[in-house]
Amino acid sequence: MSAKPTVQSVSKLFENTRAALNSQNPNLDAIKSQLSQLKVSLVGLALQNSQIEADQSFQVLKRSVAELGAELSIKMADIAAFERYMAQLEPFYFDNRLGLDESKVMYPLIGLNLLRMLSDNLIADFHTVLERIDLEQIQNNPFIVHPVKLEQALMEGSYKKVWQARSEVPTPEYLFFMDILMSTIRNEVASCVEKSYVSLPFDDAKSVLFFSSMDELLRFAQEHQWSVSPSEKRITFKTEAEDTRMFQGENIMKQTLSYARELERIV
Amino acid sequence: MSKSNEAASMDVELSPEQKQAEAHRILLEDLGRSLKFLQRGIAAAETHYIYRALRAVPSLRKRLLPEVLAETISACTSETDAPNVRDCLKGMLVLLKQDQRESQSTGACEPELCLFLGLLSLLSLLDSGDRASGAKLAESLIRVTSGSQRRTLDPIASRVFFYYSRIFEMDGRLHDVRPALLNALQAATLAGMKETKAMLLTLLLRNYMHYKHYDQAERLTAKSSFPSDAPNNLLARYLYYLGHIEAIQLNYSQAQLHLLEATRKAPSNAETAGFQQTVHKIYVIVELLMGNIPERSLFRQPVLRKPLQPYLELTQAVRVGDLNKFQDVVAKYEEKFLKDDVLILIQRLRHNVIKAGIRSISIAYSRISLRDICLKLHLDSEEDAEYIVAKAIRDGVVDATIDHEKGFVQSAEIHNVYSTNDPQYAFDKRIAFCLSLYNDSVKSMRYPGSDHRKELAYAMEAIKRERELAHELENDDYDGDSDEDAMDEDL
Repeated sequence: MSAKPTVQSVSKLFENTRAALNSQNPNLDAIKSQLSQLKVSLVGLALQNSQIEADQSFQVLKRSVAELGAELSIKMADIAAFERYMAQLEPFYFDNRLGLDESKVMYPLIGLNLLRMLSDNLIADFHTVLERIDLEQIQNNPFIVHPVKLEQALMEGSYKKVWQARSEVPTPEYLFFMDILMSTIRNEVASCVEKSYVSLPFDDAKSVLFFSSMDELLRFAQEHQWSVSPSEKRITFKTEAEDTRMFQGENIMKQTLSYARELERIV
Repeated sequence: MSKSNEAASMDVELSPEQKQAEAHRILLEDLGRSLKFLQRGIAAAETHYIYRALRAVPSLRKRLLPEVLAETISACTSETDAPNVRDCLKGMLVLLKQDQRESQSTGACEPELCLFLGLLSLLSLLDSGDRASGAKLAESLIRVTSGSQRRTLDPIASRVFFYYSRIFEMDGRLHDVRPALLNALQAATLAGMKETKAMLLTLLLRNYMHYKHYDQAERLTAKSSFPSDAPNNLLARYLYYLGHIEAIQLNYSQAQLHLLEATRKAPSNAETAGFQQTVHKIYVIVELLMGNIPERSLFRQPVLRKPLQPYLELTQAVRVGDLNKFQDVVAKYEEKFLKDDVLILIQRLRHNVIKAGIRSISIAYSRISLRDICLKLHLDSEEDAEYIVAKAIRDGVVDATIDHEKGFVQSAEIHNVYSTNDPQYAFDKRIAFCLSLYNDSVKSMRYPGSDHRKELAYAMEAIKRERELAHELENDDYDGDSDEDAMDEDL
């Protein structure tokens, strides 16, 4: 195989990049340019030798590069890029026809991806991915259990648990998405609070909505157009009593006309 | 006809060899009849006849003998066949391990005949357990279908694809057929082969679902349209897959609709029991996820009673809103649910159980402290209970308000349903269903080509007669008796 030395040289380049990313103060921009170099040389390899696609070590290298990219994009807070790398990794993780060994970072990355979907409120996608993971892993793997439990708490409405889950993350990378998730659930809580309370004192509202300072709360209240009365120190929520007993003329007219049309077709 | 009757009455006296020869002869005759139907169908370009030939397949399958099949195949081959058809027919004989016999046919073998015989050979191989040869034959049959765009080929081709995929599924190599099926889908769509297209879509969905590629399956359904006049059993299968995908993607109301329709479209007999059971399992879960409780009578149906027992217990747990009981049921039947591929769906039910609990509490109490709710529902903390109730209120599960300072929940007064628009919506839904049922049945009626002329002629005659009658009446000067006679005649 003439391509063999090149595979080795590419993996060497990969090792260097890997080491750079794991170092104390990684220069992310430099790593990013190295990564694109890596990807170009991978494509080059595949073009030189069409047989190489069946080669296991080449596939492992491809997978590792994509994993590196996913980790890097989390560090750079680039969610769109993370999503792309995860899409590239999907065939390696869920459609393992080449018989590769399981990657070490597979479940942490899948867990991160699940968390990303939760924070983006993509519950349908979350469940679609979940269906493809082994039950064994769902129940026992800490990286998967964490997002699964979170989703359950979110669905039930135990927002306190979600809040607490922030301190129980399996790896620090999860924090990035947890922070996004927090603002999502704050909005969720806000919509629940609006409907279920008539009014709340400032202090209670602060704790219910997980705010640490008064200013944040007031700004949030303003965004949601809640009426704040500083003298009583209370927030009052607008009650929009929708009168369902109203006669909905237009709707009934539409329905009756459609019945008439259908009946005319029959007679 | 009389001959075969005679044979039947003399059954007792026949020796085993004679019996065998008799069976041989009848089989050959039946095969010949089916082929005649095919030829008639090809001549008239009418799929009607093709279906009649295909209807004989199950009964032929039971009595199939390779040597008889080989005889028929040889009888059909001739020198003038198209090259792919000739190769396919030859291949069939090789795979059936039969020799080529002398050919009596003069005309070329039509692809329909070739496929029909291929289908029978495939079944014979399948029944004898020779899947490797079956796979080879199926591949060569598919090559025959790919070249042709004839409408009469459609029903046979769809069955060939079914068995093609089935063989690979039995071998556990389902992903190998995916490219072939996708190519065929493209070809069938372009050629307007409706039944084949419908079959390929369901096969592909099954293929994706087998590997849990739910996202790809969903994309396939979104980007393709299922032929509206596909046979009902294909439609039922398609609806089931659609419902399953939608259930996984949390689109419960659509899923419920599709699954319900799937159960209605599927014929209810002993052979579809498996399908009914599978569909109902998912249907029950989707109903529960939507917050509905399936009717008790569903679980009493004889075909469903036993396999749905775990689901019945699950339903009972959700209905009562008892979290502990729910977890017990899930633990008890974990294996079963896992086998049915619904365990993860069931785990989503947890919050429905809580919701049901909250609902029953709000009906029973007009005011209750958060602490009591927490105890009754076995929740972890009072704070959690508060958020959970707040969410239930927002989702419209209960109508209540929370008093945070005093720590209680106050239910709103229950108002009369009949003063709202709900009954009207329910009626509207039912009327729409009846109307669409009517329209569907009108659409599925068949009108033979020249029949309207006959009716027209009949109407013209009636008009003529009426005119004559009127004429007579005028001339007859209102004679009562003749009037009555004329009436009788007219009737």
